[in-house]
Amino acid sequence: MAEQQETRERWGMVVDLDLCTGCNACVTACAMENNIPWVGEEEAGYGRNMFWIRVQRTWEGEYPEVSPAYQPVMCQQCGRAPCEPVCPVFATVHSEEEQINLQVYNRCIGTRYCANNCPYTARSFNWYDYTYQIPAPMNYYLNPNVTVRRRGVMEKCTFCVQRIRAGQEQAKAAGRTLQDGEVIPACAQACPADAIIFGDLSDPESRVSKAARSQRGTTLLEELGTQPKVTYLKGGGYYGG
Amino acid sequence: MSDTISRRNFLKLSGLSAAAAVLTGCGPAARYVTRRPYYEMPEYAVLGESTYFATTCIECPAGCGLIMRTFEGRAIKAEGNPAHPVNHGKLCSRGLTGVQGLYNPDRIQRPGKRARRGNPTLEPLDWDTALGVVREALNGAGAGVAFYLGLAPDHLYDLVLELTQAIGAPPPVRFGALGMFEARATLVEAVRQVFGEARFPYFDLAGADVVVSFGANFLETWLSPVAYTRGFSQFRRTDGKKRGYLISFEARRSLTSGVADEWLPVPPGTEGQVALALGSLLQSRGWKVPLGAGQVDVEASAAAAGISMERLEQLADRIARAEHPLFLPGGQALAHAGGLVAARNILLLNLAAGNMGRPGGIFLSPSRPDSGSLRDVQALIEQMRAGKVETLFIHGANPVFELPPALGFTEALANVPRVISFASFPDETALQSDYVLPDHTPLESWGYQRTLAGSDRMIFSSLQPVVVPLYDTRATADVLLSAGKLPYNDEVTFLQSKLATLLNEPGVTVEATEIATFWARYLQAGGWWTQQAGLTTPTNQPDLQVEMAQGAAAPEGQFRLITYPTHLGDGSGANRPWLQETPSPSTTVMWNTWVEVHPQLAEKLGLKDDDVVRVTSPSGSIEAVVYLFPAIRPDTVAIPFGQGHTALGRWAEGRGANPAVLLGAQLNEAGDLAYGDVLVTLSPTGRRRPLSRLESRAGVYGEH
Repeated sequence: MAEQQETRERWGMVVDLDLCTGCNACVTACAMENNIPWVGEEEAGYGRNMFWIRVQRTWEGEYPEVSPAYQPVMCQQCGRAPCEPVCPVFATVHSEEEQINLQVYNRCIGTRYCANNCPYTARSFNWYDYTYQIPAPMNYYLNPNVTVRRRGVMEKCTFCVQRIRAGQEQAKAAGRTLQDGEVIPACAQACPADAIIFGDLSDPESRVSKAARSQRGTTLLEELGTQPKVTYLKGGGYYGG
Repeated sequence: MSDTISRRNFLKLSGLSAAAAVLTGCGPAARYVTRRPYYEMPEYAVLGESTYFATTCIECPAGCGLIMRTFEGRAIKAEGNPAHPVNHGKLCSRGLTGVQGLYNPDRIQRPGKRARRGNPTLEPLDWDTALGVVREALNGAGAGVAFYLGLAPDHLYDLVLELTQAIGAPPPVRFGALGMFEARATLVEAVRQVFGEARFPYFDLAGADVVVSFGANFLETWLSPVAYTRGFSQFRRTDGKKRGYLISFEARRSLTSGVADEWLPVPPGTEGQVALALGSLLQSRGWKVPLGAGQVDVEASAAAAGISMERLEQLADRIARAEHPLFLPGGQALAHAGGLVAARNILLLNLAAGNMGRPGGIFLSPSRPDSGSLRDVQALIEQMRAGKVETLFIHGANPVFELPPALGFTEALANVPRVISFASFPDETALQSDYVLPDHTPLESWGYQRTLAGSDRMIFSSLQPVVVPLYDTRATADVLLSAGKLPYNDEVTFLQSKLATLLNEPGVTVEATEIATFWARYLQAGGWWTQQAGLTTPTNQPDLQVEMAQGAAAPEGQFRLITYPTHLGDGSGANRPWLQETPSPSTTVMWNTWVEVHPQLAEKLGLKDDDVVRVTSPSGSIEAVVYLFPAIRPDTVAIPFGQGHTALGRWAEGRGANPAVLLGAQLNEAGDLAYGDVLVTLSPTGRRRPLSRLESRAGVYGEH
């Protein structure tokens, strides 16, 4: 059998903050796709929400010139991820195939070192068995392609790796390469303003690569040298093109 | 086991297994474990294929197209239908959590009868008996039967309309909280007065370059939020065109005003005056604004709105320079005593801009809107109070929760001998009903929704069951048809007879010459719509003039109240844990009701974040938690709508407060609730209750 051509996509994301309205549809979409449990009012008050993506709202200026800025923040899928070297059990690792940072739930022993070392606070920890508390029949909608996590396990955005795998397998079965826009994570799929673009950064012609080259592009805390794979396009005015 | 094994035997066994281990160790690759990433774990090998069904979201009347992913007979994930003209594959938080409605553990699972209204226990009823009750009610005096329907689904409204005609009953009253907050009746009446036809307007945001919004929260719930968000996205993009510039007049910086390039916090109720002042300034810049005979006092209007003349002139310059300026009359501007005048003034600005039927302009939806105003609801309440209603059927609405108690719906209900609710969830109205004959939830239902308010073309968006109904529920259409008053065997026959009028139409997505083919393709595509965009171009009525609208300042010690709907929609979303947990975008608060108070006002009143205050209006009072909100007028406070349920299941009940209690029964000229004119006072209770919020508390607005 001939050796299968190895495809090495470099998955990345661009969030256009000029288009983002802050509506939080991405947050809900992510939760419904990735079996993210809700934690309830009290737990939420302790900051134990399990969001894999959150919309940060900050205020700028003084009334009446006060203006909100919204920024969806998820795991930035760092090229040099600060969460990885601190895990004593190699539960947070770089996947060679997808070039993304993944959490291996059955290795995780819950030291939470990774969350402490993540400059984006993108990781959330299962303080309790939230998912197992979902009353029947509400557990019927749980996505069979995504592991349900238990207490004591860290979790975070995976760039919807189950969708990446499904897309790759579909393309492989059809004997072709992945098309641009074929794999869309749940947040980008739902985003009513189409502010989230996802795709292969190794293809200079992909939509995401073009957007990432925009003059408005910036990455979060890039001075830390984390090499994030999420680029934000500055909003709120006439920046660049 | 260890009890029965002696030490000698144990050693023997150990020796044996050690030998076995060595033996197998020599076998091929058995001692080498291949480490695989977690997504290829054995239990992760998901066998089987997902099945996708096209249907329509009826969480709100907008009617976005859905593609439901199902797996082994279970609905897994709601995704947008990429081909659907309303949402183009996109969805909002409400639509995404549809499965939490379908699989809600608090659903009403079978028909029941209540021994006493208000008693939460339902005595089970078999469907034959239940159908007998409905038959008897419909056989009785026709005029004594009344229907109260929500804004969705449309096919049920069409069926009930035919039914009421057949039995000589008054037409169904159709009303919902979302319609109340966007002041639908006022909008449609203003369109009738300005353009001669009572239609929903469609604003082509995508083609405009300057949009002036008067309290239109089009990114949240207004008319068709997903469609308008897409329009906004196009408007903002700079691919080969200018970046769209959004100007918003609204007392509170809502999600929509939040993305505005300029936000002008005018007092609620002065939007019509601002439109008038802008009209006058634009006239001096060459626009043909039909101004009234009386001199327009621009300076007085600007002063009333708290805008400097210089700023207003700058705005007028910007609008005059624009190629496609567009003016949006939103619910916050229309829900006042002078709301109809305000709506007309704003529409007349569109007229003066030459916006009728041009790209970036205003179009009219092809069909007449069938939702009523609060005045229709008031007339029904009068009938109920007078004892003229013998049987009241309620579907798709929760009037006991949604309507301001000042209207007296709940009291009038006591004079109705028989109340039949079709609710799927144990809401407040179902609790006050004698019979609950649960309908299937939308994801288990047939039907259609005509999308009138958020689409550039005529659409019949299809509903089909994506899963087998979970419980012993029955389609309301089938229940009503079982009385034999209409010539249809069942719901599907009814739907097909309605859709048969669309056969043989050219240039549509579903071209078929007979109904079976049509039906199959229609369900597969997610509905029927024309290939080309096409809406009516409005024509203006002569002799209509911009008028002075009145807006009064709040007296000392009282504050204007803004009540606004959130992603909980008409309040029915409160029983979905993920809608509760999705943070409010501008405050990041979850799971509760808060009252937004400007830090200046809070300081004056001695209020701090998380203080519980009593908010009192002439109609009633509620308690809510203070949230210091920097982007609201200091003379105005705001409370989100949707919480404060006394029923509706474990996640909704006893959570937050219902601001409908504060809204009076004051209607505007078009019969919509003037909820924007409500004045409230705040008094501290001395208690504190921390709100759960995503944002950090530290250093956001100073000390706490």
